Amino acid sequence: MVRIGWFGLVMALAWPAHASISKFKLDNGMQVLVKEDHRAPVVVQQVWYRVGSNYEYGGITGISHMLEHMMFKGTKSLKPGEFSKTVSKLGGQDNAFTSNDYTAYYQVVGNQNLEKVMELESDRMRNLVIKDEEFQKERDVVTEERRWRVEDRPGSKLYELFKASAYVNSPQHHPVIGWMSDIRAYTVDDLQHWYQQWYAPNNATLVVVGDVDPQQVYEWAKRYYGAHKPETITPPKPRVEIEQEGERRIKMKGATKSPSLIMGFHAPSLVTAKNSQEVYALSVLNSVLDGGDSARLPRDLVRGSKIAVSAGASYDETSRLESLFMLNITPSEGKTLEEAEAALWAQIEQLQQQPISEQELKRVLAQTEAQYVFHQDSIQSQAMILGSLVSIGLPIETYDNWVENLRQVTPEAVQAVAKKYLTRDKVTVASLLPNGEGAKSSAVPVMEGGVR
Amino acid sequence: MKQLTVWVFAFACLLSTQAWAKVDIQTWQTAKGTKVMYVHAPQLPMVDVELLFDAGSARDGDQWGVASFTANLLGTATPRHDENQISETFNDLGVQIGSSAGRDTASIHLRSLTRDEVLTPAMTLFAEISSQPIFRKKIMAREKARLMTGLKQKTVKPQSMLSDELWSKLYGDHPYAHPVSGTLKTVQKLTVDDVKAFYKRYYVAANAQVTIVGAVDRKKAEQMAEALTRNLPTGEKASALPQPKPLEKAQAKIIRFGSTQTYYTLAQQGVKRGDPDYYALFLGNHLLGGSGFGSLLMEEVREKRGLVYGVSSGFYPMKVPGPFQIGLSTKNTSAKEADEVVKQTLAQFMKDFPDEKLEAIKSNLVGGFPLRIDSNSKIAGYISMIGFYDMPLDYLERFPKKMAELSKEDVLKAWRKHIHPNKMLTLMVGEPDVKPVAK
Repeated sequence: MVRIGWFGLVMALAWPAHASISKFKLDNGMQVLVKEDHRAPVVVQQVWYRVGSNYEYGGITGISHMLEHMMFKGTKSLKPGEFSKTVSKLGGQDNAFTSNDYTAYYQVVGNQNLEKVMELESDRMRNLVIKDEEFQKERDVVTEERRWRVEDRPGSKLYELFKASAYVNSPQHHPVIGWMSDIRAYTVDDLQHWYQQWYAPNNATLVVVGDVDPQQVYEWAKRYYGAHKPETITPPKPRVEIEQEGERRIKMKGATKSPSLIMGFHAPSLVTAKNSQEVYALSVLNSVLDGGDSARLPRDLVRGSKIAVSAGASYDETSRLESLFMLNITPSEGKTLEEAEAALWAQIEQLQQQPISEQELKRVLAQTEAQYVFHQDSIQSQAMILGSLVSIGLPIETYDNWVENLRQVTPEAVQAVAKKYLTRDKVTVASLLPNGEGAKSSAVPVMEGGVR
Repeated sequence: MKQLTVWVFAFACLLSTQAWAKVDIQTWQTAKGTKVMYVHAPQLPMVDVELLFDAGSARDGDQWGVASFTANLLGTATPRHDENQISETFNDLGVQIGSSAGRDTASIHLRSLTRDEVLTPAMTLFAEISSQPIFRKKIMAREKARLMTGLKQKTVKPQSMLSDELWSKLYGDHPYAHPVSGTLKTVQKLTVDDVKAFYKRYYVAANAQVTIVGAVDRKKAEQMAEALTRNLPTGEKASALPQPKPLEKAQAKIIRFGSTQTYYTLAQQGVKRGDPDYYALFLGNHLLGGSGFGSLLMEEVREKRGLVYGVSSGFYPMKVPGPFQIGLSTKNTSAKEADEVVKQTLAQFMKDFPDEKLEAIKSNLVGGFPLRIDSNSKIAGYISMIGFYDMPLDYLERFPKKMAELSKEDVLKAWRKHIHPNKMLTLMVGEPDVKPVAK
């Protein structure tokens, strides 16, 4: 589960390493993107499928993620686990991730092994074999993953409840990993169907970044991925989120010592926005609140008034469906959640009443420029940005144009989006309160011997 | 993600090489006698700089948490700048800066663009916050309150409970035994004077190291290292740490906590950084549980039985023997089974393992070498480690040769010498379906 929020910009002055991206399209509809980076004899291959939890519906939530697990369980020609073992023998690393909007698979290998992993990855695009026995065990693994990620972390559980309250009928209502009872009820047929429907070349993008020749990558892509027939892809039905008419508020109790709070507002993403400049203005707003130690939330609430031990903001500009602008806070001891929430509202009102300063705007641009260079230290991160953009239907130029678009943002535009979107009738607030439970370590002394 | 590592071993993975993938490490001393580790990486207009001190929590003495607190307070005031001015300056430049402490070291790290108008002011302020800090009472009080909230929160996080208990049980009264950030009781007592005294003793040139990786040439790197250390007093190196005493017999402990999973570890003291047996232990561990899906533990506990999302094992070599640890989490009702499978897998591995598994894992280590040095941040991590633990400069290139030479007998011999399955520590946090028993 991955979120990519922050793109950098390109100071065109910039840098010769600003490599061009080669784009190809196979006859079966599969897109291919190659970015050269010759710093080390290493390459990453990523295959992105346009399917994730936002394509799912009630009863099978989390199935995209479950299928991601099953993709390591063998094909017509590979035994369960053999995929990863083969990559490991090549000295490579492989893994996968599922998000709201996409599912992606990757291998990082020495560049001499790229063809081999392309052959392997293309095989499991269409030739997966889902056996009941493997499925049963892997479903147990996924339930353990859910326990580890969510059930034993009150903060994660709160976030899940928060999203389920902020979204009523949009598929963003349900978590990427799925509800536990849905996970327990998947069948082999459900998975087989999901696989057949979405894992097709015309629903996929191949991204390769590293020490490679783009033409060679294209030749191999044609040979391996080009062999598959396209599938008829039926997009999911709209399920557009209903209009929010008044505040929503929920409370949860959990094993925590400090209460905390999440507050969120529906906001457009680059995909859904009628006016994309609003998205860039919201992005600047987010950075003004939470971009480094000098941003307003740490400066005013953690260090200044000391009302909070931590406070932050987040906003996903590149969601395929409508996004959320979120704030979170953990009050200092002796301060209540009500006081902490009031402090967040005071911050919002300030943004609505007064434009941000030119200095704050300049800071956001400087940080974005630096981020753009820093992220290139990792070939994975470069590939991630390309893959995620294409998978939600945005042009890859979005990336190169990012800073240019941020430069168009004015203090007045930031003030305008704060007024338009961060309103009291459109807020969802989720609070986490201590349930009073803790460890009982003194009850069981250390014993010599073993544990039976 | 289909895979995860429950415990992160910062330096656990070091690896092999092929001739063409060489890292040209240069080292020298500043006028003040500080060791510098440097790699020229000209491709991206950025640089990573680290100023590191032998000033981790092993130097806390009775004042648990003082090392971590000192590192965290750097950057909160200097004679010329207050807290807000410092953060604004770094943020306005787009520079990333942070400090942290572990058990062996404390460090300040900076990542900056190399354009003069960014790097010059960034480095000036970096030197100022590290060599001329002011520790203010008000800021200390505020940060203490924040830390206390965090420490209370740790008492309801099963992973933290397990980790604190592991170090405590494994190291007894050794300086590694207590939590890096201290405890509620010890942090409450810390004063500004404690922090000042700690800073004065350990943040000195003789006890420091500078690491630089990026698009700055040797001359520029020399200037940067000089500027960073010029205003540090020469001082003295920290003294050697005592040897920890290993467990004499098996121990087990359960901490009852209402989580849905039992958080589990099986552990023992391992080896120190630089131990000649480390190569064989590392190779074996890669096979046992250190390489994700290629490893025996993942196969036995996850793939065959579906008991866990993740299971891993690792050595954590430090100044003196750091832990060897196997870790997992599983639903409470399968804690007993997971414990048994882990112990059987370890026992079987130490008895024998298939030749083809050994060959596969060697192949992974040799073939995977370029992946370990494919970014500035990875290179910085390695050379910082090589410098701090006084490893040979050709350590990276030496590794694959060692890997290729090792036989199954070498691996088994090293494991049997260092790991004693009948003297291990078993810890569980949760509501496991097991009862502790006295023998």
